[in-house]
Amino acid sequence: MANMLNIDDLKVSLEEEEKQIIKGLSLSINPGEVHAIMGPNGSGKSTLSSVLAGKDGYIIDSGTVNFDGSDLLEAEVEERAALGIFMAFQYPIEIPGVGNMNFLRTALNSQRKTRGQEELNAADFLKLVRGIAKDLEISDEMMKRPVNVGASGGEKKRNEILQMCLLEPRFVILDETDSGLDVDAMKLVSKGVNNFSSSSRSFLVITHYQRLLNYIVPDFVHIMVDGRIVKTGDKALALHVEETGYKDFLQLGKEKH
Amino acid sequence: MSHVNTSDWYNSLRQELECNSLSIEKVSRRSEYWRKSNLDIVSDLVQEISETDLINLNGTHLYEPELTIVGDIMELASGKSYKISSIMDEIADEGSFTKNYFGKLEEKSQKLVPRPLARDNSLSPKVGYALSLPESSKKPLVIHNKTKTSVNNCFQRNLIIVNKGVEATIIETGNNLSVFNSVTEIYLDENAKLNYLDLTGENNIFPKISHKFCDMAEKSTFNHFGLRLNTKSTRNEIELHLNGPGINTSIANVSLINKKHHFSDENVLINHNAYECKSRQVFKSVLENDCTSIVRGKIYVAPEAQKTDGYQSSRSLLLNENSRFLCKPELEIYADDVICSHGSTSSSLDKESLFYMLSRGVHKEKAKEMLITAFISEALDEIEDEGIKSALSNYIDIWTSNFFHE
Ligand SMILES: Nc1ncnc2c1ncn2[C@@H]1O[C@H](COP(=O)(O)OP(=O)(O)OP(=O)(O)O)[C@@H](O)[C@H]1O
Ligand SMILES: [Mg+2]
Repeated sequence: MANMLNIDDLKVSLEEEEKQIIKGLSLSINPGEVHAIMGPNGSGKSTLSSVLAGKDGYIIDSGTVNFDGSDLLEAEVEERAALGIFMAFQYPIEIPGVGNMNFLRTALNSQRKTRGQEELNAADFLKLVRGIAKDLEISDEMMKRPVNVGASGGEKKRNEILQMCLLEPRFVILDETDSGLDVDAMKLVSKGVNNFSSSSRSFLVITHYQRLLNYIVPDFVHIMVDGRIVKTGDKALALHVEETGYKDFLQLGKEKH
Repeated sequence: MSHVNTSDWYNSLRQELECNSLSIEKVSRRSEYWRKSNLDIVSDLVQEISETDLINLNGTHLYEPELTIVGDIMELASGKSYKISSIMDEIADEGSFTKNYFGKLEEKSQKLVPRPLARDNSLSPKVGYALSLPESSKKPLVIHNKTKTSVNNCFQRNLIIVNKGVEATIIETGNNLSVFNSVTEIYLDENAKLNYLDLTGENNIFPKISHKFCDMAEKSTFNHFGLRLNTKSTRNEIELHLNGPGINTSIANVSLINKKHHFSDENVLINHNAYECKSRQVFKSVLENDCTSIVRGKIYVAPEAQKTDGYQSSRSLLLNENSRFLCKPELEIYADDVICSHGSTSSSLDKESLFYMLSRGVHKEKAKEMLITAFISEALDEIEDEGIKSALSNYIDIWTSNFFHE
């Protein structure tokens, strides 16, 4: 089967300072697969997600990223979204003055337009978004606010999942979506993700906790240290990390230098 | 003045004012208040004159004008509840009620700031209205200015009197195809309320200098909203005298300018002369293509104006490096029990917000538009009338959607 995402020996530095963050990372993800990435703070997990989503401020030193067989790094941010790539932000930002509903509808219809699909009318959109909000227990009041303004950490994370469900991407990066969620919210979010998963959708789940992986069971668990994947295993690897931390892997990161 | 008929009272007032008049050339070199203004583009040639203006949008009327002023001719739609007359008739009339009002506020306005263009206006008005509002009206009075290319310099002089307890809304729109200089003296009686919207659009290809001087009595309200859409050169001067307790006032302005070297220049002076008055000033400027926006907002608080609540916020969104936002907030306070705040910022479009929106598939231009709309919303929110606010928001949204496609 053709890979959905194929990252080959990717090296990425910061634009502002001469510092390489991703130092030769390879990863292939097939449709329907769930991959988890764990790793110490600062190992480059969010940088990897940002690069995949197309954020600027990075220099690709070498390597390639292919999505559905074409060069992802060439695509604009909004084109990547329309291709079906979605990143749930580790720290979702607030956008004062931009209404949540207006934002969601614009996002959805922009993507549809890019893909040559018809735009959703106001009534259908409302029905769709209300249904999703209800499942995620996001209040009407919350939906009426400007994007994420005044939302708690957990509410913002739920909002990310709402956006995911609405936009129906094929490749989802969850960057520590579990951090800051209470137990109930964690279940809601996991349920949301599980309902959403299918044989054609893939996930890259970045997390520090094995807990989330009880709900969203990964096919592969990767340990990332200092800009590289130093170990790949199955879900048992996550359990191992939970017990012993990263000390076994830090050495692996150095050896590869 | 020879061809204009004038009364004795006007002639003697004129004589008095003429003795103390200043030339703009002298003043602009000396006064901080004028220095950065760029009004000497009078000689610029008009490149193109299109018939569209702010009250029209894609062929549909945003507002139906009731009073149209074409050059020095006034055309009034019929059957109105207000009393309106030509200012030129009034200053020719010995017994005119305007005798007690005309020029009084202009003269007062010269105390703290030299305003030579307002003085010029008092000396040779060409057209204008005297409006008296004896009863409230829900429907706005729409005034449409159409300055003609054939007129070199149009001095428009207006007088507005809002009686006790009366509420009214005035919307001023139009274009100006020659230099336009207006002075509007406004008197608000107790509990009177005037919402004034000054909408200036792309067709203002010649300098437009507007003065509004307003005397306010106890518990009256004056809300002024200014819109400058790619105006070549506007200078707006507002001076308010809050003379009784419990007065409320809001001055808001939105300038969206992206044509090279265009500018808007907003000057506000709010004199708090009585206790428990509230004033708000909200300025938002979005600038691209080496444009300039100037904001000078001053709050003066007299010793007796205790419990004054004065708020001022001036913010700009600079979409290119060479656009400039020149902002000079001033507070002059002689009372001790007051709350006055002012803040000013200049920033570019927030990169993080932009990335967030793009990452959800929103197209770049659209995302910028939405951020601009968000940026100016605080100023639009100063408009009380929801109908007018949403009509204007829509208008601005459509206008903004072309902002990046030029
Ligand atoms: N814009 C930036 N400027 C300076 N340093 C940066 C920038 N972006 C990332 N870094 C640095 O790159 C490294 C990797 O950061 P990144 O956020 O990718 O780590 P992470 O693995 O997601 O960590 P965490 O688990 O804490 O979320 C860190 O040392 C970080 O300080
Ligand atoms: Mg991170």
